[in-house]
Amino acid sequence: MTTQVFKIPDSFKKDVRYTFCPGCDHGVAVRLVAEVLDELGLTQNTICAASIGCSVTIYDFLNIDTIESPHGRAMAVATGVKRAKPDKFVFTYQGDGDFASIGLAESMHAALRGEKISAICINNTTYGMTGGQLGPTTILGQVTTTSPTGRNLEYYGYPIKIAEHIALCDGTAFSARVSLDTVANIKKAKQAIKKAFEVQMKGLGLGFVEILSSCPTNWKMSPDKAHQRVREEMMPVFNLGIYKDVTQS
Amino acid sequence: MTQCLTGKKVLMKGNYAIANAAVLAGCECYFGYPITPQSEIGEFMSGKMQELGRAYVSAESELAAINMTIGACSTGAKAMTSSSSCAVSLMQEGLSYATSDQLPVVLVSVMRGGPGLGNIYPSQGDYFQATKGGGNGDYHLIVLAPSTVQECADLTYKAFYLAHKYKNPTVLLADGMLGQMMEPVEFKKYPYPEIDNSKWALDGAKGRTNRVIRSYAPLASNQCVYLEELYKKYKLIEENEVEWEEIGTEDADVVLVSFGSSARNAKIAAKLLREKGVKAGILRPITLYPFPAKRLSELALKVKKFITVEVNMGQMVNDVRLAVNGKVPVELIHKPVGIPPAPVEIVKQVEELI
Ligand SMILES: Cc1ncc(C[n+]2csc(CCOP(=O)(O)OP(=O)(O)O)c2C)c(N)n1
Ligand code: SF4
Repeated sequence: MTTQVFKIPDSFKKDVRYTFCPGCDHGVAVRLVAEVLDELGLTQNTICAASIGCSVTIYDFLNIDTIESPHGRAMAVATGVKRAKPDKFVFTYQGDGDFASIGLAESMHAALRGEKISAICINNTTYGMTGGQLGPTTILGQVTTTSPTGRNLEYYGYPIKIAEHIALCDGTAFSARVSLDTVANIKKAKQAIKKAFEVQMKGLGLGFVEILSSCPTNWKMSPDKAHQRVREEMMPVFNLGIYKDVTQS
Repeated sequence: MTQCLTGKKVLMKGNYAIANAAVLAGCECYFGYPITPQSEIGEFMSGKMQELGRAYVSAESELAAINMTIGACSTGAKAMTSSSSCAVSLMQEGLSYATSDQLPVVLVSVMRGGPGLGNIYPSQGDYFQATKGGGNGDYHLIVLAPSTVQECADLTYKAFYLAHKYKNPTVLLADGMLGQMMEPVEFKKYPYPEIDNSKWALDGAKGRTNRVIRSYAPLASNQCVYLEELYKKYKLIEENEVEWEEIGTEDADVVLVSFGSSARNAKIAAKLLREKGVKAGILRPITLYPFPAKRLSELALKVKKFITVEVNMGQMVNDVRLAVNGKVPVELIHKPVGIPPAPVEIVKQVEELI
């Protein structure tokens, strides 16, 4: 007798051309989102606010109603969707540049208002789609196309620790940072996404997950090496963990 | 629906008339950030929308406000935002997206002095901003220009109707004078049919394939097809929705062209000119896009001169010149900012120009 142990989630489109670069963690993240949507039975009651960045193509892969937001505005668009249709499940899927640089005001204020939405933010320490420039999460010393000798304090200042900042907002119900570098971490990432979705469903406030994610193309590394960088360079700065969970307090 | 103040004449500020009419039009969501001279709209909405159990958000900026409106409109809801001049500048990206996304966004823009922070005096300096767009790409906003407080109410109804009928962002373009002055106004019942949004709105893809509202068109060929389709819609709007008021143009030698608050004085000026024996008339565009260009070009065959009256450095005058296409001269009487030129002042300048 055979048992199926691996299947394409129902929330995932079956016949699409996959457009993320080979080895990019965006693909894993989108799959996890699809699995959680399936498991929580949300596929046909969800509206996604997509963002601008490599994340934008999420609407090519998922079987859910989606509106694309201007760069940085996904949390505002999601707020509008949720306020208009409070019975829908609403989430954003954004890059770190989108969420924490150009859209920082929208992100923080959605958290402060305690919007009953969920947000997934991909931290790959760079602006991926535009070719690997310095972004809000680029770590000190990191070479990018706009920090040719590495990020230094004099010219660029510090990177932002997003999950910690969002956790500080009183309207946040759940905030965590996860990674996709190992199978064990992928499992934890999925649990965090589920939690971030569940707090919305329970009406507790904003659910947020920051995902440390590889960008092999702009980092100019093999997917394996890229995961090694996530572990060795990113995790010491961006510590994994749950920074807020109102269901535990 | 709880109605506020229908069927009786009340004395009201233009800003309140707009807000009240929006509520009566069935506006389900309001998003805004304060700026003079339109803050009364947000103030009124904050209380009324909560009282009625509808959505209200004090947005953190106009960037957020326009994008919240976009989000709400993507579900087919009647949603609006309101702002003024330098803050409407912040909304231009959102308006461009909303046009591309074909969303029924309603924006109330109550003009003040500019450029930059300018001042809080009335102005018509955002005629270009509204009709030509400050956002990127090929698009039009439908633009309605009230001239009285009564029209502030009536055209607010119309803005919701046209926005939903054509799935196109629609601007009610008032100014600080109309927003702040009080006039008698009577609120009718919302006179337009409700538009069925169920064919395109996002509601969670239950029992159907998912819908994506997007403006990203990676292939140039897709963008070409898309823009051709979009412009078919604009052609339809231009054929069906042009609205204007015309007085004394049948035998006129000179026709004043003026919109919004300045048209009030231009109208009186035309009457005074008649009394002085000058054959003057007035054409007041009510829709600034679509613009009554066809009517102006017809009039150009018998009129000797057009003169626009504006509170800016001369903006609509360009559209009148385009419409008239060199057939007769088009002159400008203007005041850079503030209360529109007084009727006697307009008369004096017309006499100098003819
Ligand atoms: C207002 C605006 N500014 C700039 C851009 C160009 N742009 C597109 S994607 C992007 C960066 C995206 O980076 P991030 O959010 O980190 O996502 P990633 O691509 O890395 O997944 C930029 C700057 C834009 N589309 N709109
Ligand atoms: S550029 Fe980087 S983030 Fe974007 S798809 Fe490629 S690998 Fe992923």
